[in-house]
Amino acid sequence: MLKVEHLRKNFGNLEILRDVSLEVHRGDVTAIIGPSGGGKTTLLRCINFLEKADGGTLTFGEETFDLQTIHRKDIARIRLRTGFVFQSFNLFANKTALQNVTEGLTVARKMPKDQAVDTAMNALDRVGMKDRASHYPSQLSGGQQQRVAIARALATSPEIIYFDEPTSALDPELIGEVLSVMRDLAVSGMTMLVVTHEMHFARDVSNHTVFMENGQIVESGESKALFLQPQQERTREFLRTLSAER
Amino acid sequence: MTERLWQILVESFPKILLPGLKMTLPLTVIAFAIAMVIAIVVALIQFAHVKILSQFCRFYIWVIRGTPLLVQLFVVFYGLPKAGLILDAFVAAIVVFSINEGAYCAETIRGALEGVPSGQIEAGYCVGMSYTQIMWRIVLPQALRTAFPSLANGLISMVKDTSLAMNITVAEMFMATQRINARYYEPLALYIELALIYLLFSTVLTWLQRLGEKKLASYGGKEARHA
Repeated sequence: MLKVEHLRKNFGNLEILRDVSLEVHRGDVTAIIGPSGGGKTTLLRCINFLEKADGGTLTFGEETFDLQTIHRKDIARIRLRTGFVFQSFNLFANKTALQNVTEGLTVARKMPKDQAVDTAMNALDRVGMKDRASHYPSQLSGGQQQRVAIARALATSPEIIYFDEPTSALDPELIGEVLSVMRDLAVSGMTMLVVTHEMHFARDVSNHTVFMENGQIVESGESKALFLQPQQERTREFLRTLSAER
Repeated sequence: MTERLWQILVESFPKILLPGLKMTLPLTVIAFAIAMVIAIVVALIQFAHVKILSQFCRFYIWVIRGTPLLVQLFVVFYGLPKAGLILDAFVAAIVVFSINEGAYCAETIRGALEGVPSGQIEAGYCVGMSYTQIMWRIVLPQALRTAFPSLANGLISMVKDTSLAMNITVAEMFMATQRINARYYEPLALYIELALIYLLFSTVLTWLQRLGEKKLASYGGKEARHA
């Protein structure tokens, strides 16, 4: 359902992404792992047009777009079919948890208010945040904020949800609650593309893992296989360093 | 205090307060409301880097902030008739005060807009909102909340600045006091009385500012954080 081909992105003279290609099928949970500064986040941001790519194509559903010349209207149209979860949550600070979720429904999708509230409450219930619906983001812990952010992405019934290091900004004791919500989503069949440093999530929850370094995909494949028998030396090294740290 | 002086002060109190309520107050409220509209529009244009228009806005702020308010009043009230535009004194005062205050508030609001984290805009895009929707519903409300104390500051300054309108024949509190003084010649007592009435106005506004800040604190304020 999502296919990226030959994606390139530079910041000035710095090549952040060089010729990255990636495919996600409906129902896939794909984890993108790799050392910091390898371009994982930039890749995700380019796919949702938060950064403008310098080249490459994106196939979403049935349509293919040139990432450099894609029209604003097409961007808006695709975004209505996707969800995005940020590392720093980015909940609307002036809106309650409930309003954070309904905003995308009533404003962007013109859903009637009562229907939007029902949908939003269901989404908040799924992430265990129903009883905090009237709280403002500043009144919630990081883990709770991130769960509301997931509900916000979820409520619009997206065809895919992108997660950009969803647990990296959280205190260690709060990571579990967010991961467990993501695990539930994965089990329910949601298509997910997840940039993460949580190797357990990549290995045990995602069915597909991509290892990225220096703006390139070094290796990708079925998660269990990639973790047990990495084919590339760099992947082996990366995974070894991680297990040594534990 | 002699009985005569006390009587002058008591008698003059309503004669000063009434022009305050009939002139100073409406002048302040109307001009500030228009100033806010100007300021928000100018700040948004600059924030969005709209071509040409944002250059025009910079020019406007440069001119207004760089010239004295009193001179601006004179240009509009005494100067423009030479160019064929004759304005009633009160209208001229409204025009000048709103344009003047608009320039200052525009900078305050622009600063506050730039202080809103870019993640708020990105999140708006990601839930499918348009730029305009994001600005009106997410960014501007947050910016106005940040800017609120500074804007209230501007409003309180403006109450006092309206005394300058006397110079273009607006019969506000200052002019009323001068007239009373011309009759009794008690400048010390009368001008202190006038000052106290200005202080009364400012006190009410300060109190309203506190009330407003408390209301706005309902999201993300320090008190709310521990709720």
